[in-house]
Amino acid sequence: MLAWIARGLRKRIVTSRYPRVAEAQLPGFRARVELTDSEGATSELERVCPTGAIGVAGDGRVSLDRGRCILCGACVSAEPERFRFAGEYETASRRRSGIVVGAHVQRELEALRLPLGERARSLRRSVHIRHVDAGSDGSEEWEIQALTNPYYDMQRLGLYFTLSPRHADVLLVTGAVTRVMEEPLRRAYEVMPEPKAVVAAGTEACSGGLAAAIGEVAGGLDRVLPVDVYVPGAPPSPIALLHGLLLAAGIVNEEAAA
Amino acid sequence: MKPARRTAEHAQRFLEGRFRGAIEQAPGGNAILRLPLGALDRAAALLTAEGARFISVFVAGQPDRSLIAAFAFRGQVVALRAPLENSAASYPALSLHLPAARLAERELHDREGLTPLGHPDLRPVLRPDVDALEQRIAGPESFVIPYGPIRSGIFEAIQHVVETAGEDVLALETRPYFKHRGLEQRFAELAPDRAVLVAERVAGIATVAHAIAFSQAVEATLEVEPPEQAQLWRVVHAELERMANHLDVAMKLAEDAALAVGVARFGILKEDVLRLRARLCGSRFGRGAVRPGGIGVWPLLHPDELRGWLDNFERDLVRDRRLLMRTTSFTDRLIGSGRLDRETVDQLGGVGPVARAAGISTDARFERPYGGYARLGFEVVTAEEGDAMARLEVRFGEIRESLHLTRQALDRLQRLADTPVRSELPAGSGAAFGWAEAPQGELVYWAELEAGRLAHVHVSSPSLHNWPVFVASFRGDVLTDFSFIEHSFGLTAAGADR
Repeated sequence: MLAWIARGLRKRIVTSRYPRVAEAQLPGFRARVELTDSEGATSELERVCPTGAIGVAGDGRVSLDRGRCILCGACVSAEPERFRFAGEYETASRRRSGIVVGAHVQRELEALRLPLGERARSLRRSVHIRHVDAGSDGSEEWEIQALTNPYYDMQRLGLYFTLSPRHADVLLVTGAVTRVMEEPLRRAYEVMPEPKAVVAAGTEACSGGLAAAIGEVAGGLDRVLPVDVYVPGAPPSPIALLHGLLLAAGIVNEEAAA
Repeated sequence: MKPARRTAEHAQRFLEGRFRGAIEQAPGGNAILRLPLGALDRAAALLTAEGARFISVFVAGQPDRSLIAAFAFRGQVVALRAPLENSAASYPALSLHLPAARLAERELHDREGLTPLGHPDLRPVLRPDVDALEQRIAGPESFVIPYGPIRSGIFEAIQHVVETAGEDVLALETRPYFKHRGLEQRFAELAPDRAVLVAERVAGIATVAHAIAFSQAVEATLEVEPPEQAQLWRVVHAELERMANHLDVAMKLAEDAALAVGVARFGILKEDVLRLRARLCGSRFGRGAVRPGGIGVWPLLHPDELRGWLDNFERDLVRDRRLLMRTTSFTDRLIGSGRLDRETVDQLGGVGPVARAAGISTDARFERPYGGYARLGFEVVTAEEGDAMARLEVRFGEIRESLHLTRQALDRLQRLADTPVRSELPAGSGAAFGWAEAPQGELVYWAELEAGRLAHVHVSSPSLHNWPVFVASFRGDVLTDFSFIEHSFGLTAAGADR
C-alpha cells in the first residue's frame, strides 16, 4: 500500500484548474468547426455535410448546426476559406439554437426550459449525476469516465456520479436513443427527484448524428425527454462535458459563444 | 510471413480436394465456394472439423442474393455461398454443429425472416424486452437479478440476467442489442469516403480498427493498394488504440478492486494515450485518421516526437504494471475468476485476448497479415490459464508488442516521409472481405460496391463473438466476481449491437 502512495505522489498534481483557469488547448485537437465566412453560398454547400448540419438560406447566408456536426471535416476540406477546425472546448448551450452558429439563427423564439439557474441553485456544490447510455458508439462513455481521472477530477467541483437515478440531480444521456432504450430512459427520468436537469452528451444525443437517418433510433434525446443542456461533439471531450455539467448545475453561466 | 503463405496453400489444396467445382473465386487468400442451401450445414461442419473458426452468417446481395457463411480457415477467409431463391424461407441451421453460430443465426432470423431449421433457441434478439425475465432455475431460494440495461457505473447499455440463490451465479443470460442502431443499413448508397464515417461509429472505442477493416474491404474490391506510408501510419494508429483499450481494462479492474491509486495511475496512462492521439490526428479516438485508399489526416507529429513519447510512457507503464501485478489484494480477485478452457472458447468461436488467454494463438494480424503488419515482426502473446488474470497478462503483453510494432513502423516511416499517403479509388463494383485485429479481437467486414457506392455491408464484430464466451466463463463464480470477469473481457456493446 505504501508503494502505491509513493507511486501516486510521484506524478505530482496533474489536475486541470478549469473552470477557474482556462484549460490549455491541445495543439491540433478538433473540438469544433468554426464558420469564418457565412455569406454568399449556394445550396450546393448543404450537400457537403453528411449529417445535414449546414444550412444555406435563400439569400446565401450559411448556418452551421453543431448539434448535428460529427466533426468529420468534409466541409473543412471542401471549403477551407469558410470552415475551419478550432480547439475551443466550451461548446455546450442551454438552448438547442445556441449550438447553431451563423447568420440565420432566431434565438428569441425559443422558450428556455428555465429557470434552470433557479432550479439548480439548490444543488450547488453537491450535484449528483446519473449517466444513461441510450445507444452511443461507446466513445462517450470513455470521455465521461475520464471526468473522474486525476486530470479532470470533477469531484473537486462538487460533481459526483451516483448509481441510482433516485439520488440524481442531473441525467447525463449519450446516444441517439434506440427504440428499446426509450422506456428504460423514461423510467430513470421519472424516478429522479425534482429539481432535475437533463444533459444531452454528444452529437448523437443532440440530434441522432449519422444514425438519425435510420428508423432504429429516435434521432435525438429531445424527442424523448426535455433537454436542459446540449453538449455537441463526436464525442465531446471531457472538458466540454465538464462545461456542460457545470452549466446544468448552475455553477457556470457562460454558454458557447456563437 | 512465410508460414502464413504456406498454410494458405494447404488450405487451397484442401478446398480443391473437398469442394471440387464449387470454388467460384479465390483471389488473394480468400475463397468463395458456391453450394446449394441444403448443403451449407454439412460443408460448415466439414470445415470446422478441419479447424476452421466461424466468423459470421449473413445475407449478401452480390453477385446475387445469397446466404454467406464465413470462416477463418488456415490463413484464409473461406465463404460458403448459397444462392437464395425468392421462395427460400428456411435452411438447415449451422448452429446444430456449430454453437458459435447461434447468435448470428438468431439475428438472421429476426432480420431476414429466414428460419434456421433445428436452431435450439429462436427467441427474438434484436429488440430485447427489459422486463422479460424468465427464470430457468426453479426453487424457492433462487431469484433473478436484472443487471442493466442501465448499469451501476459509467457503462454501455447491455442487460445481464443473473440467477442466484444468494451468492453463486447459477445461471446467466447476456442480452446485447439494446444499442442496435441499424448502422449496417446506413452504409447503403454512400461513397466509400462517406461510408467510412459510419464504420468509425460502429464501435467508438475501436474506431481505427473499424475504419481499417472497412477500408480494406473496399480496397480489396477495387483492387487498390494503399501506399506504404499510409499502411504504416495505420499500424501506428491501430496500436495506439489497442494500448488505450487495454489500459482501460486495467483501470476498470483496479476500480473493481477498489485500488484508488491504481485507478488514478492507469487513468492517467490511458488519458495520456488519448491526448497523444489527439495531437497526432486531431481526434482522441483516431477519427478521420484512416480513409479508404490511405490515411485521412497528415500526421501532426514527427516520428521522433512520437518515439520520445513512447519511451517516457513505457517507463511509467512498466512501474505501474509491476506494482499492480504485485498487489495481492488485486491479483487474488483475478486468479481463477471466469476460467475458460480451450475447448469452450474454440466451440464458441472466441476471438482476441479472451481466446489468446486460453491458449489459442489466434490473431488476424498474424494469421492473415494485412497492410503494414506484413512488414513488421511481433509475437502473438498467449497464456494457458484462461482466467481473468491470464486475460490481463495477455493485455499487458500486447501493450509491450504494440510499443514494439509502433517503433518498427516509425523507423520505416522516417525513410518514407516524402511519399504519398493516399491512392485514388476507381468507381468499381464487386464485393470482398476486409479484416483487422481490433483490441477486442478479430473484426471482419463484408462490403459490396455498385458503381463506386456501397450497397450492402455486414460487420462481424469480436464483441458479439465473445459475449457467449463470457457467459460460458461463469463456473462456480460468485456475484462479487461479476465485474472482474466482465471487465477482464473488455468488450464493447456498441460494437456487438451495431
